[in-house]
Amino acid sequence: MLENFSFRTIVEYLPLFGQGLVTTVWLSLVSFAGALAVGIVLSAMNLQRGWLFRVPAKAYIDTVRATPLLAQLYFLYFGLPRLGFVLPELVVGILALSLNSGAYVAEIIRAGILSIPRGQVEAGVASGMTYVQRMRLVILPQAFKVTIPPLLGQAIVLVKDSALLSLISVAELTRAGQLLASDRFMPAEGFITIAAFYLLLYYCLKGLAALSGRWIGLQPARSST
Amino acid sequence: MTKTGMIDFRGVNKWFGALNVLKDITLSVEPREVVVVCGPSGSGKSTLIRCINGLETIRDGDLVVDGQRLGDPATNMTRLRTEIGFVFQSFNLYPHKTALENVTLAPIHVRKIPRTEAEQAGRDLLAKVGLADKVDAYPAQLSGGQQQRVAIARCLGMRPKIMLFDEPTSALDPEMISEVLDVMVAVAEEGMTMMVVTHEMGFARKVAQRVVFMDAGAIVESGTPDEFFSNPKTDRSRAFLSKILRH
Repeated sequence: MLENFSFRTIVEYLPLFGQGLVTTVWLSLVSFAGALAVGIVLSAMNLQRGWLFRVPAKAYIDTVRATPLLAQLYFLYFGLPRLGFVLPELVVGILALSLNSGAYVAEIIRAGILSIPRGQVEAGVASGMTYVQRMRLVILPQAFKVTIPPLLGQAIVLVKDSALLSLISVAELTRAGQLLASDRFMPAEGFITIAAFYLLLYYCLKGLAALSGRWIGLQPARSST
Repeated sequence: MTKTGMIDFRGVNKWFGALNVLKDITLSVEPREVVVVCGPSGSGKSTLIRCINGLETIRDGDLVVDGQRLGDPATNMTRLRTEIGFVFQSFNLYPHKTALENVTLAPIHVRKIPRTEAEQAGRDLLAKVGLADKVDAYPAQLSGGQQQRVAIARCLGMRPKIMLFDEPTSALDPEMISEVLDVMVAVAEEGMTMMVVTHEMGFARKVAQRVVFMDAGAIVESGTPDEFFSNPKTDRSRAFLSKILRH
């Protein structure tokens, strides 16, 4: 059985996989930066007391979380051009991942901010700090530490989700596997190889999460009250 | 009748939903006066002092603090709060900041005092509360009593006109209570205007000019510590004192 498995073909296609890997890494990085930007704005809107910003933010987050990423991607890829917005597929892909992941990031950031005890806010208020000063000096530095591990978890999800961009012919890692599968009819070789590369990316991010966890552990503990 | 104290409650009412937590409160605290507020749990003591710096808002009546009426559009609440130190039961120190940074944070960012000057003042204040050797310690590395002394120094760093204490020793182990009370006595003796919610009757006898007894949201009795402890006038204050002084 294994004699049919062609390592030679994999080696032959390595440059293609290499390009795919590079594309997956950089478009994931750009998309994650976009997701952070979207998430920060959404969580800020969602934490307002008035409904004017909160309701649209909640509606957006719910819509994104309730619908499949593939449907969102197809809407942007097939739907937007019909509405007059023609964008390159790479831009559509990054947009889809940023907008999708941003909704999850927003909830992670919101949870991080809400995890800071009420007494911290009151201490800031009582010393005459403005809302912005309280956020900048008291709340966000503490919330930041709490959110790093779940944000890295979300980054791992985003890297895996980026495989869907192969469906709109972005030349990323999964697309490279598809090409090997269809050119030489070697799906086993193609998809095992990309699996190995995704595993590699996963361990890199997990290592980063472990490092950040140790860094957080070295920081002064949160007070128990 | 129209004389104004440092803190003036005139017919103040507050509700939490249907619950009338402050009932027609009228109370005036003079500059340099130390007033102890006591009463059973749920009587509205904490709510009373939390109204003074706007951590709670009042529904009707007037509350004038340092000549400024709360709720008045002309009153800059953020500015007024810099004149009022507030010490919490649970300390609420910033866990990501050292003791010195806790003390200097608001002076630097709110009062806009130059960093070197604020740090010198911060070190002096921490020395004053007996924590000269803990300037670089984080709150988690300090005992409850030490944390509360840092919290008092943090308030003093703003050079406030008024200090409010919300059950400052209730979360402390017994052996740490006196170190915090000693600091509070020192602050009182320097002429600070203070309102202190506490059941520490030794503290009240030592420095308070007045004890205010609250029950069910109303001020039931008010008098000098001697009058109040030796000759309580109402049944409710007698019942309360018999409970807290029994042991």
